Amino acid sequence: MNYPIWVVPIFGGGWIIGIIAIVHVFLSHFAVGGGAFLALTEELAYRRKDENLYAYLRQHSRFFMLLTSVAGAVTGVGIWWAISLVNPDGTAVLIQNFTLGWAVEYVFFVAELATVFAYYYTWDKLTKEQHLNLARMYFGFSVMTLVVINGILTFMLTPGHWLESRYWLEGFFNATYWPSLVLRLLIMFALAGMYAMVTSSQIKDQKTREYVVRFCAKWLLPIFFIGPVAGYFYLANVPQAAIETVFNGVHASGVGNFSVLARALYLSLILSGTVIVFAYIGPYLNPRGLTVRISILFLICGLTVTGITEWMRELLRKPYVVYGYMYCNGIRKESVDKLNEGGFLAQSKWSTITALPHGQNDIELGRNIFRYQCMSCHTENGYRGMKKLLGERDRDAIEGFLKTIKSRNKENNPYLGIMPPLVGNDDDLQKLASYLCTINGHSETSPAVSSKTRASSQF
Amino acid sequence: MTSSNLPTNKIGNWLEERLKLSALTQIAQKKEVPLHKHSIWYYMGGIAMLFLAVQFVTGILLMVYYVPDLESAHASILKINSQIQFGWFIRSLHSWGANLMIAVVFLHLFSSYFMKAYRKPREITWLIGMLLLVITMAFGFSGYLLPWDDISFFATKIGLDIASKTPLIGPTLAELLRGGENIGQSTISRFFVIHVAILPLVLLGLLAGHLVLVQMHGMSKPPGIDTPEKPCPKEKFFPNFFLRDLLVWILSFNVLAVLVTLAPWGIGPEADPFAPAPLGIKPEWYFLSMFQFLKLMPASVGPIEGELVGIFLIAAVAGALVMVPFWDDGKSEGRSALATMYGLAVLIGFIAFTIWGAIS
Repeated sequence: MNYPIWVVPIFGGGWIIGIIAIVHVFLSHFAVGGGAFLALTEELAYRRKDENLYAYLRQHSRFFMLLTSVAGAVTGVGIWWAISLVNPDGTAVLIQNFTLGWAVEYVFFVAELATVFAYYYTWDKLTKEQHLNLARMYFGFSVMTLVVINGILTFMLTPGHWLESRYWLEGFFNATYWPSLVLRLLIMFALAGMYAMVTSSQIKDQKTREYVVRFCAKWLLPIFFIGPVAGYFYLANVPQAAIETVFNGVHASGVGNFSVLARALYLSLILSGTVIVFAYIGPYLNPRGLTVRISILFLICGLTVTGITEWMRELLRKPYVVYGYMYCNGIRKESVDKLNEGGFLAQSKWSTITALPHGQNDIELGRNIFRYQCMSCHTENGYRGMKKLLGERDRDAIEGFLKTIKSRNKENNPYLGIMPPLVGNDDDLQKLASYLCTINGHSETSPAVSSKTRASSQF
Repeated sequence: MTSSNLPTNKIGNWLEERLKLSALTQIAQKKEVPLHKHSIWYYMGGIAMLFLAVQFVTGILLMVYYVPDLESAHASILKINSQIQFGWFIRSLHSWGANLMIAVVFLHLFSSYFMKAYRKPREITWLIGMLLLVITMAFGFSGYLLPWDDISFFATKIGLDIASKTPLIGPTLAELLRGGENIGQSTISRFFVIHVAILPLVLLGLLAGHLVLVQMHGMSKPPGIDTPEKPCPKEKFFPNFFLRDLLVWILSFNVLAVLVTLAPWGIGPEADPFAPAPLGIKPEWYFLSMFQFLKLMPASVGPIEGELVGIFLIAAVAGALVMVPFWDDGKSEGRSALATMYGLAVLIGFIAFTIWGAIS
């Protein structure tokens, strides 16, 4: 509400962030898990004096370096670009609150980049001990980037005492910090193992291939044993209202275990289970039989689990971007009363700036409210499109619906668990209704003027 | 404790003395799978079996709550979808599984066709396979009506109307399936019995024959792959190929899980036999090519009704495909090339008419 935002038609801004973020998650998880894989495998090669293993590592590290450094850096910047355009208020909170955290993360990221380049380009230039130390350093730096970013990501779901103290370290080391750190490390190890299966299934020497493929399968063991424990502690510390949202959803999106979040959870569980079974009967029991094609399909399964689980974690936070503090449309929870009283348009800085020179009519002002309050999740006529959601509602029904979603009482507003309450005074609601009527084609039958305008026109 | 005294070995020995399980292991180990660039198609039969197993398990579970009654059929599916714990999940597994199974059966059919797997001594395996395809499609047709929603009602009505045009047996067959002149309670009862009892029995019998013949003749190799100069490498079916088969099953099941959870199967409004048919009623995708082809037929071709000519043409095309082992026995290069061209034409026609039917 205080900055200009980027309106993405049809797909919505959320998808732009989501697509870039999920690619970045894959790459960053590869980077950290792969760092561990490089360090441990090189340790093995060093101890066994296994030149075949060294040759494999050399080949494996080439694509790994390109993928994680170039694509990782590009998508990392891409996330900043997307979130600051689509959700500038939320981005502002993260920057202002964690300035030092971001600076530290940046330092470790630069160190990680420098080490991975040094690692790849010094295969023949350093002694084996020195090169092994580089691998360990790379792993250390990449884990440190996770250690920092994990604090900021978990803060968004469980800000904890930060809500009262506003002290950044209290937000950083929050209730889900440690379980999330463990879970992410386990996922990273599993993905590193799956990725290495793709590269190791192409090793020409059969004995080395079987050895490395079986070694890769073992990288999925930690998540199998420790994952459920860490998952339990993670969920135990997530706000219980968020857990309820998973199974109850809202009436509009299905009930019981049919809600989209619940279905995503089941898919995540099914795929996780099959990934473990796959790792056992495939690469572990029959390493010779693992082909490149099958290992790529297996990796896709692993990435799908990761993607679905990340998507669920993002949705758990709904309707907030920072749980209990800022709604996903950038409105602070503590500002709702003030905005309801004094009006949304009158108090949101950017809309007042853009409103003045043009002297917009009610529909244009209503569109402004829609952009700032609804477009973080909805589009006009695309993903979660209002045209479809409004259906055949006429102006009265739309106004009634807006009153429902303005309520902060759960009894009156069934959408409250997943949608922020609508914010603004009656005049704002009238303007928004005027605009919504143009979306579903009820503009002719609706009063195109707000209550204020109608009142003034009577004199 | 010596290894022969272990409890697991004792149980193994006990079973071996009574069931002679080692004979089965020997058979499985005897079977070999050729390794070549088209080996990927050998997985199709196994994937179809996996989806068949899913159909049996989920079908039995659905029978617990489904009521094959005119007044209750639609309501019972609604209940399964919205009130029974994980009912939506089981039903979606059944519906998506059916579609995936039919798709994989088609892939199995065409891959076997192009690899010339129908040639001597596998002619009967091919013919049973074709019968299995017909049974699979009959499963789809009979199961489609059971939810009793408007689309399934009118699609079945149109399907039976077309079937009734078949000369000689058509009218009797359609009436036998309908249980009268109109689709109603008798139709649901009959389709239900056909779907859950008759077709499974027939399918299991035919499948057993198909598998025994595959076991008897071994895996077929495409012509030219295995020559005295360059023999085709092979691997043992058990455990090597079997373990990889399991991996492919897991991957296939994951595809099904993604579809089921992200796009659960819905249900339309309850069928109203007296209402006009909704616009654009189409059958399921696997009947769409035939439906589209019949739609293109003129009202009459000379003195004969157009639809009837269409049915004859479809029957002729399918008949030539079924009888391919007898006109392409591998002795003539020309006929072999003709069979390949014919198969390609049928495949392209099938895909093109299906897409045309879907978008028109």
